[in-house]
Amino acid sequence: MVLASPQDTLWYKDAIIYQVHVRAFYDSNGDGIGDFLGLSQKLDYLQQLGVTALWLMPIFPSPMRDDGYDIADYYSVHPAYGNLDDFKAFLAAAHQRDIRVIIEMVLNHTSNQHPWFQESRGSRDNPRRNWYVWSETDTRYRGARIIFLDTELSNWAWDPVSKEYYWHRFFSHQPDLNYDNPAVREEIWKVMKFWLEMGVDGFRLDAVPYLVEREATNCENLPETHAILKEFRARIDKEFPGRMLLAEANQWPADLRQYFGDGDEFHMAFHFPLMPRMFMGLKLEDRKPITEILQQTPAIPESCQWCLFLRNHDELTLEMVTDAERDYMYDEYAKDKGMRLNLGIRRRLAPLLDNDRRRIELMNGMLLSLPGTPIIYYGDEIGMGDNINLGDRNGVRTPMQWNGGWNGGFSAADPETLYSPLLLNPVYGFQAVNALSQARFDHSLLSWMKHIIKVRKSTPVFGRGSIEFLYPANHRVLAYMRQLGKETVLVVNNVSSSAQAVELDLRRYKGNILIEMFGRNIFPRIGDLPYLLTMGPYQFYWFRLRRV
Amino acid sequence: MAEESILTDDFLRELINVGEVDILIGVPTYNDAATVGQVVQAVRAGLVEYFPRERAVIVNVDGGSRDATRDLVRAASISDLQRVSDLHALRTLHSISARYAGDPAPGTALHAILTAADLLRAHACAVISPSSANIQPEWINQLLRPVCRENADLVTPVYCRNKFDGLLVRNLLYPMTRALYGRRLREPHPAEFAFSGRLGNHLLAQDIWSQEIGQIGAETYLVIQAVTGGFRLAQSFLGPKLRIDQAAADLVKALRQSVGVLFWALQQHPLASATNGESQPIPTNGPEHQVSVEPVRVNRKRLYQGFTHGVAELEPVLSSILSARTLAELRRAATLAEDDFRYSDELWASTVYEFAASYHKAVISRDHIVQALAPLYRGRAYTFLVENRDAKGEEVEANVEALCQTFERLRPHLLEVWDGGK
Amino acid sequence: MWERFVSELSKAMQEIAGSVGQFLPRLMVMLIIVVLGWIIAWVAKAILRSVLRLAKFDRLSEHTGATQLLNKVALPSSSELLSRLVFWVAWIGFILIGVNVLGIVGLQEHVTRLLGFLPRVFVALFILFVGLLATSFFSRAALLAAVNADLPSPRLISSTVRTLLIVCTVSMSFEELGLAEHTILVAFAIVFGALMFGLALAFGMGGRDLARHFLERRFRHEEQEKEQEDELSPL
Repeated sequence: MVLASPQDTLWYKDAIIYQVHVRAFYDSNGDGIGDFLGLSQKLDYLQQLGVTALWLMPIFPSPMRDDGYDIADYYSVHPAYGNLDDFKAFLAAAHQRDIRVIIEMVLNHTSNQHPWFQESRGSRDNPRRNWYVWSETDTRYRGARIIFLDTELSNWAWDPVSKEYYWHRFFSHQPDLNYDNPAVREEIWKVMKFWLEMGVDGFRLDAVPYLVEREATNCENLPETHAILKEFRARIDKEFPGRMLLAEANQWPADLRQYFGDGDEFHMAFHFPLMPRMFMGLKLEDRKPITEILQQTPAIPESCQWCLFLRNHDELTLEMVTDAERDYMYDEYAKDKGMRLNLGIRRRLAPLLDNDRRRIELMNGMLLSLPGTPIIYYGDEIGMGDNINLGDRNGVRTPMQWNGGWNGGFSAADPETLYSPLLLNPVYGFQAVNALSQARFDHSLLSWMKHIIKVRKSTPVFGRGSIEFLYPANHRVLAYMRQLGKETVLVVNNVSSSAQAVELDLRRYKGNILIEMFGRNIFPRIGDLPYLLTMGPYQFYWFRLRRV
Repeated sequence: MAEESILTDDFLRELINVGEVDILIGVPTYNDAATVGQVVQAVRAGLVEYFPRERAVIVNVDGGSRDATRDLVRAASISDLQRVSDLHALRTLHSISARYAGDPAPGTALHAILTAADLLRAHACAVISPSSANIQPEWINQLLRPVCRENADLVTPVYCRNKFDGLLVRNLLYPMTRALYGRRLREPHPAEFAFSGRLGNHLLAQDIWSQEIGQIGAETYLVIQAVTGGFRLAQSFLGPKLRIDQAAADLVKALRQSVGVLFWALQQHPLASATNGESQPIPTNGPEHQVSVEPVRVNRKRLYQGFTHGVAELEPVLSSILSARTLAELRRAATLAEDDFRYSDELWASTVYEFAASYHKAVISRDHIVQALAPLYRGRAYTFLVENRDAKGEEVEANVEALCQTFERLRPHLLEVWDGGK
Repeated sequence: MWERFVSELSKAMQEIAGSVGQFLPRLMVMLIIVVLGWIIAWVAKAILRSVLRLAKFDRLSEHTGATQLLNKVALPSSSELLSRLVFWVAWIGFILIGVNVLGIVGLQEHVTRLLGFLPRVFVALFILFVGLLATSFFSRAALLAAVNADLPSPRLISSTVRTLLIVCTVSMSFEELGLAEHTILVAFAIVFGALMFGLALAFGMGGRDLARHFLERRFRHEEQEKEQEDELSPL
């Protein structure tokens, strides 16, 4: 069953996206690994939370050397998660609950176990030879930086079988596909079509800046890459209107702008540079990092949307900050060097914020009120912790904690057979932090998240409205107006750990009364004088302006 | 409370917006538009470069300038309002400017700065003179690092000075503070200095602000309080001191601000407890002193004439202040020809000490005592100029050191005339 | 005739005796009052002297220069002076009361007039005293200012100030006493006016250069006479 009606082509602007790892969510068959059937069973939970779209981490068959981003077969699902029927059933169940499904589509590279690569490396004359990027020397494309600095020393790897180097921007077991080859492009289109016909609502295209390489460039964001992407988009619009493309491109805002084209490339893109600055602003107790990056963010076409997030399955990336800022973030958020990885910090939201409920609420409040579509990483809605001793980024990919019982309610298998150990410590362990106990209480983080998502969904202003920053003299307060048509919402955030007084210049909105959106109580009318608000530590307000 | 009235409502509002800070830099101004722009830019650069993570604010306390001083200061703030910033800073840097209540006076300005520092709970503070146009961003580091990182309470500057610049400091302030307080503080009347919040609050609690000393000489008093109060002292070498041309004019004002305060402060501490041993050096970042010997145009004759003229005309006043013996020697010296005249170290030290004692006893109005010192200082300055006319840096320092030894040696004389008769 | 003389004489003697008899008790009362007054005045002086000593009045008067002034005119210290003053004021008061009691009519009138005059004497003396203190302060201030500002003839300036102030003070005292009021007033006005007129003329004509020099130094901060000034800053 396909869920797309003509008037919903901009559904992604109002969506609340939940990023989930099938493997980590719920195990229905007791093999220690989460699966589709399990995920289907938890759709009610997600619907109650208020989620309207799911983004699934890679579900393809894979040797799992990069958590599924090394794909070995594009036309199937990983057997540990189930089979294609399970997936289709899940898809139907989700659509029934008005939840759309976005899946990963890794375009840039495949696993070296993929049959295509096996053929390609077989010999230099193989018909699929040109499907990957081969070279006699490893000196080409010197301008390209190495992304996984902690593990790779070069973007070229030597293949002993065909005695040539192959190009890989990521792990050496993930050879890059050659997008200069029309056959490759055609095949990838066929892959996308396969899933779209099944009913998938959108793709998150992984690592898109790196599709094409050219000499004497940094091999990122090249015009050829954009041309290829636009072509895909055109074909999708023609055959599958209403489906969405989300770009994963860790670039500065100015470079990101190109990925929207004129509304003819990606529908959405992650706003990577904003995320570390939100954490920085919180520690500095200064709104400057946040306002500055949003000032520098270019305007995007009407039909496009930014994707905002606080954390995800990767490290909190610090690529898009200055050296001084990176040092500050390391010193403040990752004192233990074990937390640092690849120019980033591999921690979950709650541990980063010292498990401080107020800070967690504030960050979520900003996530849900800044312009863009919010993405919630699974487990952050209950404040799950992390385990940095699990290598690479696996510390933030531990099993979802459902209750305080056997395996935290994740799986009926023996604890030793789980795909990843559970969190056991007294603060973040499954007995302390789980969905069941939190669902019972109104004051829990989970209940609070449900409530704030409901408030957000009560008006389209947050998803579709414009943003205008107010710059009160108190630099510890971040305040902005969101506006859509006649609806105006004022958001005021205190990013400091102490009480603050702030005077806002709201003369333009004189005569409006403010209605606080959570309790729906009336606040005084705006007059000629600056509007005085006093705020507790890390407090925020959402006000709807109403003229009576 | 009385001290709050020094902050106008606007000033207070701006302080509220700044919130708690780690570092506060005060810039007292009065019609300094010519140089304040550069100074504030250098301060800003220094803060961004050396203290990027600290919360800082530049507070300009202004006595009612009628030029563009205050606008120039405000332009130095770093905030998210600016679209294009050439200086990439982690944080917002506030640069506020406010008028303090009352007449323009350096002491009132310092009072306002101390009050602001107390309200904002600044851990480290500095005061920068708006006329130091040659200030470098490193100065901020040199002044503040000992307070921020090494727990110092007061950091006074050390400059590379021309050998004939700051003669009052070389001939009176430095030797006398050294002799009486036992610390080798090169600049007891500093134009820029840094201090800890602890010392600032200590000074704020003193009851001097409503008196004249609180208005004209609070910096020197701060220094003396730090020395006598057992606070941790440090010195930092900054660089060359810019010679300000118009400051030469008002010798009496300079005397009031420095020597007057020094004399007044002697009342606060029983002299008997003044150190008896040798003076101690102060931990210094960088060289302890530097002397530049570039030639300056000096009107020595005028100094000599000022001295002789003064001694002659002020005879009735000087006779109430000085002992008969000292006065007789001065009279004799004044009759010598210009080439033979010499104001010896001993005579100068005795003069100064007797002045201090007379100030203590208030034989005549105290302000008059300070004023009467002016022509005598001129005589001493003349002698210093003559003796060091061809001297190199080390020689000048040696002469100053000798003078200090004389001051230290003649301490008993001060004790003798202090309570006793003349 | 002899008897008439004797009887008149004895009548007169009786009258005198009667008057004397009337007068003597009053005289006794007056003497008692005077003696009592002396005792009270002495006690008051002693108390005041102790109070002033406790309040360190002498120190204060030394500070303002009053002691010096008194020493110059060979008067005792201020607290002593004040105590003695109080003593005399009290005792004289009692004496005058006593004299009143005597009931000699003409004397009473004179006494009343004298009593009325005394306060003005005290005020005049006070004005004189304060004026002399101020004179020494201001003349010294003028001397120092003139020397430090390099004005010519500082002593002359200082003396001028002193003279002016003394003349002013004396005039004010006399006016208070009510002695030759108008004469003094007019004389003072003439002297003062002449002096001011002369200064005005001097500033306007003869003293042009001096005046300009003086005004320039006072009111124009930016411009300095570079030819004469040295480049040194004392601090």
